[in-house]
Amino acid sequence: MTAMLEVEKLEQKFDVSGGLLDRLSFSGGRILSPRRVVQAVNGVSFDVQQGEVLALVGESGCGKSTVAKTIARIHNPTGGTIRIDGQEVQGLSDRELLPVRSKMQMIFQDPYASLNPRQRVRDIVAEPLLEQTGNRAEARDKTEALLARVGLNAEHAGRYPHQFSGGQRQRIGIARALSVNPRLIIADEPVSALDVSIQAQILNLMMDLRDEFGLAYLFISHDLSVVHHIADRVAVMYLGFMVETAPRDTLFAMPRHPYTRALLSAAPTLDPAKKARQIELTGEVPSALSLPSGCCFRTRCPFAWDRCAAERPALRDTGDGQQVACHLIDEPERDKP
Amino acid sequence: MMTAFFASEFFANWRRNGSAIAGSVILVIFAVIVVFGPWLVWQDPYDVAGLDLMDSYKPPAWLPGGDPRFPLGTDGQGRDVLAAIIYGTRISVLIGVSAMICSLVIGTFVGLVAGYFRGRLDGLIMRIADIQLSFPSMLIALFLMSAFGTGIDKVLIALTAVGWVVYARTVRGQTLSESGREYVQAARVAGLRNAKIIRRHILPNVTTPLIVVATVQVGTFILIEASLSFLGVGVPITQPSLGLLIKNGFDVLFSGLWWVSVFPGLFIMALVFGINLFGDFLRDELNPRLK
Amino acid sequence: MKDMTETLLRVDDLRTHFHTFAGTVKAVDGVSFSLAKGEIMGLVGESGGGKSVVGFSILGLIDSPGRIESGQILFDGEDLAKASEDRMHKIRGKEIAMIFQDPMTSLNPLHPIGRQMDEMLRLHTDLDARGRRARCIRMLEDVGISQAEDRLDSYPHQFSGGMRQRVVIAIAMLAEPRLIVADEPTTALDVTIQAQILKLIRRQVREHGASMILVTHDLAVVAEMADHITVLYCGKVVERGPTRQVIDDPRHPYTAGLIASIPDPSDRKHRLDQIPGAVPDIRKLPRGCNFRDRCPRAQALCAEREPDLETQEPGRSAACHFPVEGGGT
Repeated sequence: MTAMLEVEKLEQKFDVSGGLLDRLSFSGGRILSPRRVVQAVNGVSFDVQQGEVLALVGESGCGKSTVAKTIARIHNPTGGTIRIDGQEVQGLSDRELLPVRSKMQMIFQDPYASLNPRQRVRDIVAEPLLEQTGNRAEARDKTEALLARVGLNAEHAGRYPHQFSGGQRQRIGIARALSVNPRLIIADEPVSALDVSIQAQILNLMMDLRDEFGLAYLFISHDLSVVHHIADRVAVMYLGFMVETAPRDTLFAMPRHPYTRALLSAAPTLDPAKKARQIELTGEVPSALSLPSGCCFRTRCPFAWDRCAAERPALRDTGDGQQVACHLIDEPERDKP
Repeated sequence: MMTAFFASEFFANWRRNGSAIAGSVILVIFAVIVVFGPWLVWQDPYDVAGLDLMDSYKPPAWLPGGDPRFPLGTDGQGRDVLAAIIYGTRISVLIGVSAMICSLVIGTFVGLVAGYFRGRLDGLIMRIADIQLSFPSMLIALFLMSAFGTGIDKVLIALTAVGWVVYARTVRGQTLSESGREYVQAARVAGLRNAKIIRRHILPNVTTPLIVVATVQVGTFILIEASLSFLGVGVPITQPSLGLLIKNGFDVLFSGLWWVSVFPGLFIMALVFGINLFGDFLRDELNPRLK
Repeated sequence: MKDMTETLLRVDDLRTHFHTFAGTVKAVDGVSFSLAKGEIMGLVGESGGGKSVVGFSILGLIDSPGRIESGQILFDGEDLAKASEDRMHKIRGKEIAMIFQDPMTSLNPLHPIGRQMDEMLRLHTDLDARGRRARCIRMLEDVGISQAEDRLDSYPHQFSGGMRQRVVIAIAMLAEPRLIVADEPTTALDVTIQAQILKLIRRQVREHGASMILVTHDLAVVAEMADHITVLYCGKVVERGPTRQVIDDPRHPYTAGLIASIPDPSDRKHRLDQIPGAVPDIRKLPRGCNFRDRCPRAQALCAEREPDLETQEPGRSAACHFPVEGGGT
């Protein structure tokens, strides 16, 4: 297998200090103009193989959507490398990126916000392909075929998005992503805005499409049951760091990072009796404006000791394709409640 | 297409709204005056050969000494006041609408650029807008007109210079919020260039609030132009607007010849009133937050 | 919760309709259920099911163009559907409290939370200033807010999302209400925070002996929290019963479909079971059963006659002509 997507030490910082006037503050008898920088993604590395589904999991503010949008070049990365199908793309201009975009497309979270309300469905679906080829006749045929493939029919092509339900809109978004025959799809919480019964329809469609077109997915989600269903491998993020990555079954059966364990035990299930041993977290996620020293998770970790504040744990192989960033790996005797 | 309009919620609400109907009726009457004006009068008020000084200062037709040929009386040169008003209305509306269109185009463009690209340019444009908004627009227009001299084209420039700010601010705000939405991000992922994203995706989605602003602004512009002309720095005497008609009659107002300036005044009032009634209705209809 | 326990709330054939330009939306159309003292009931359904409208109807918070058309809401014997706005004002907060998805709908951003809590107590109790303050501090500590005394002077925006929801819960519990209506109280929160808040809500409700209606789309949350489940579809109750029984052995095909479409980590299939189609336009509901177009068990009868909510066995009922047989899963 070759890697469709390789990400190395990806960093994304956002300056949110605003203009000079907004920044001014008065403290200790002096006028200051401090910069406020959100450290959204802090050196994240992973890869997605051809036809593989990698799920990127974490809670809001952990940087998973930022990773997705940086790879899709909605944001420009502040550091690190992104290779798509072997080609480095982080420094490319919009014009140079165009051929790359035919290999990589994106599905968005909000089916209501991700379609332009003033465009007809056929124009929405054809847009990426027309940018690539400019061939209207081909785009029209392809659009019809794609709409049929995602479960809509030809008469839908002339309608506007507001005439569709959430699930149908998400199908339109999927058709748009498929129009250029991409091999990598970045799916940013594609089912989290949908009702449960519709979620299953969309997940099934995405899996069928993967088998049919050999797609690789980078699947962003906060919903562990969805991730368990769809992913081949899972990567867990916290506060812009990757804390654990492992093949799906390993991660769900034997999570090693305390955060992964807490996440798994916190998720509500239909059968609470079968629940894994509980790790309960206290407190809340620290601000990405000022990261804690050492391990990003230590402020909420029930096991944290002084080493965690002093030294930031690196992501290390623990065998079976599992990688964990936690000092407990060195000192397993501390892993007691 | 038409049946769809008559079945729409917009039309149903319009029918139930008395002031919206009143506003629309007034606007339709003025539209007829503007379009068919020259065929509605028997006398071209600015063809001096057609005027007769013997007819000067005749009172309205229903008063003693009135002449049925001049329903609203005549001015000092024997000119039919009604005919002058109809011609003046055309000039006032022409100026109001053209200045609105110029402001709309320029303001929208500036707002789109500022809101989409943000950064320094945005800061600069918005500070200019803030500074301009801290002066009364009448004062700015008056200052510009005294610098330029009179003329319809100069009034247009002055009004546009005053009017673009409101569009720029509205469009910028809308653009800021729209450009963060996912369909704009989707367009970037599709590979569209910025200019195309702005044209195809952002512009169609920021225009709705402008309809209300533009409607009400026509009324405001007509009033500003009237004030400028009344002060003698607006349109030239050969192309009198309603404001200039008021000024011409104002000199003789206190000698009892009230009709020469009162009737043009009433027409301005009715016109702006109609525009505002209709504008209020549009505001209620097009503002999704009130729904 | 046995049948012999005392009933706190009985909703009887409630109909709440919204009259919009495009037609009448029968958001709640003939919903009946009862709630015992100390019971937690999950009110489950997808968007458009009418579950939130039931909650708002109980609280008397239906605004134009909506209207309670008919039915009774008997709270401790008093019909809230006919109560005056003055009377409802006294009941809300004191007798029935609410917790919304967005904490900012119930918090005033302009006042410190201490003042908002104090107002609540002044309105509904006759404690003096010192007593009220002590009660507020105790309540905040109770919902897990440290340094409660200092936090009384904080404004809502100074709290994080999870902390804000704690404050809302503290305010809701202050006057010791007998019924709490919680509308998607944790939907906006992260999983780890959700777990904390759910546990807190449950403990508070149980400790105060209150009853709760938990409105949510998330069956898993209900499974962990509720004693009974009521499932709504298109404004009608399609299934009612004790939580474990309904989840392990659903009778209505809609409930069964909902449960099957949730990915189950212990039983991973290549394809999820899905309910075909989408919720119909509630302004143009089909004749007969509302679910028949999506139902695998539908037959000719379903298109003709709407099924009534029938008791299947003691404590369980479903509105289906051809219910799923027991012991299915």
